[in-house]
Amino acid sequence: MPALRGLAALTGWLGRYAWSAWAGVAGLFCLAAAWQAGHEFYGSFILPSPLETLAALSALIREPSFAIAARETAERSLIGFALAVTIGTGAGALAGYSFAAMRLMRPIVTVILGVPPIAWVVLALIWFGSSGGSAIMTVVVAAMPISFAGGLEGVATRDRALDAMARSFGASIWLRFRTVTVPHLISYLFPAWTTTAGTAWKVTVMAELLSNSGGIGGELATARALFDVPLVMALIVAVVTFALATEYVLLQPLRDRLERWREAGLPWGVKR
Amino acid sequence: MKLRLEGIGHAFLGRPVFERLDLTLDVGEVVALLGPSGCGKTTVLQIAVGLIDPLQGRVHRAYRRHAMVFQEPRLLPWMTARDNIAYGLRAVGVTRAQGEAAAVRRAEEVGLHPRDLDKYPIELSGGMRQRAAVARALAVDPDVMFFDEPFTAVDVGLKRVLQDLVIETAARERFSALFVTHDLAEAVRIAHRLVVLSGDALGLVTSRSIEGQPGARSDRDVFELVERWSRDPAFRELFDGERERAA
Ligand SMILES: Nc1ncnc2c1ncn2[C@@H]1O[C@H](COP(=O)(O)OP(=O)(O)OP(=O)(O)O)[C@@H](O)[C@H]1O
Ligand SMILES: [Mg+2]
Repeated sequence: MPALRGLAALTGWLGRYAWSAWAGVAGLFCLAAAWQAGHEFYGSFILPSPLETLAALSALIREPSFAIAARETAERSLIGFALAVTIGTGAGALAGYSFAAMRLMRPIVTVILGVPPIAWVVLALIWFGSSGGSAIMTVVVAAMPISFAGGLEGVATRDRALDAMARSFGASIWLRFRTVTVPHLISYLFPAWTTTAGTAWKVTVMAELLSNSGGIGGELATARALFDVPLVMALIVAVVTFALATEYVLLQPLRDRLERWREAGLPWGVKR
Repeated sequence: MKLRLEGIGHAFLGRPVFERLDLTLDVGEVVALLGPSGCGKTTVLQIAVGLIDPLQGRVHRAYRRHAMVFQEPRLLPWMTARDNIAYGLRAVGVTRAQGEAAAVRRAEEVGLHPRDLDKYPIELSGGMRQRAAVARALAVDPDVMFFDEPFTAVDVGLKRVLQDLVIETAARERFSALFVTHDLAEAVRIAHRLVVLSGDALGLVTSRSIEGQPGARSDRDVFELVERWSRDPAFRELFDGERERAA
């Protein structure tokens, strides 16, 4: 009986997810239409048509060198993302527990957030040279403050009344952290994590391009040098696809799973 | 003697709330704590439960386990009613299966339908949420219960039902209770004894035993006692406060 109910819930969720994907695809086609219009106005050399780009993309995917480059970029942004999220969230959550740390850290985060990623690339190039390390470092530094701020705000705004309730039952600090603070924290972290994931891809490609250290950024640099505009477009589309896939295949389903209780309160029809 | 507050005093930001307060709870005794708004009733409970440390005095506890029902339900929004009711048991390290069984039994006792146990708090009505909060407190089999104006926000009918539930379980399971309320009639219905906290930081102004057993008093007895006591000088502050607020 519970298995049956679980199955029904899963089907319902899949249905809703597919429906929202459908709406998303409709939006993407509108964008493609505008792109086509731009192409017809400026011509193939400036802006290749969506179809030309798709052709270039499918040729690109069949090349073994692309798989290697994509893996390189994916690894770098994943490592950068993981480091940024772990360090940022952990330090932010700790700072959230202490008013003094909070006061000290907030201005630091504001300053770090104000530094453009491109400046970090330059610094990373000096420190790490033309290697994957500079891309990873740039991602970590550019993306960490967002996670840090999310962790800090999440812990600082935890519900003290619920915490007092848990303490009145003699709950240990670990149990209170897991059951009172973390679920609240997650709702602060998801926006931070999706932003971080997007930033990770973009910054990795940028750092690769500037530091000439392979990956999709390196391919992009080569394509630019050869004036292969359809290839440039194809690489851009590939990067955007990767970034969107990270968000909609990895993060959103995870969020839906963790935040079922929030959805339970929405009236019919508002769910998505 | 289950609980003894000895010479308790507390102040917030240097402003004293009460001083030299003494209060004992005997085995199976239900004491109602009354007082004008802002006199420190919630503070007394928080000290008794151990949520805050008193600036003066000592708290002696001679029991295994306590539980508290707050003015608001304070359910965890991300847990189902079932997990919420079992929360206190989880805190004391009872296994999941045993916790679930106790939760189901207590839910039935407070009048929650099994169907509602899989719902999240946001899907429950206000009354159902407060029932769940009472069930959560009962689930740990407490020796001492603390109530902080638990039924202020529920409607008259449900209030009576929940009061009867407290009277009945207190008598059956022999737990002691400290019940904060601002409603003299509620106090007279459910308690063995009634104490009034002063609004001028003077500690307790009066302590009265209420005749008969809770639950055995007729509505008429309750009404007459409330009438008589509301003309009593010792209770004047309770009603003065009400008048001040209304003005
Ligand atoms: N955390 C706090 N910081 C500062 N002052 C506080 C704090 N908690 C309570 N007080 C003050 O202590 C006094 C007693 O508060 P308390 O909540 O115990 O009153 P109460 O008797 O429960 O009132 P009510 O009947 O309205 O619930 C009030 O004057 C309140 O302003
Ligand atoms: Mg109060």
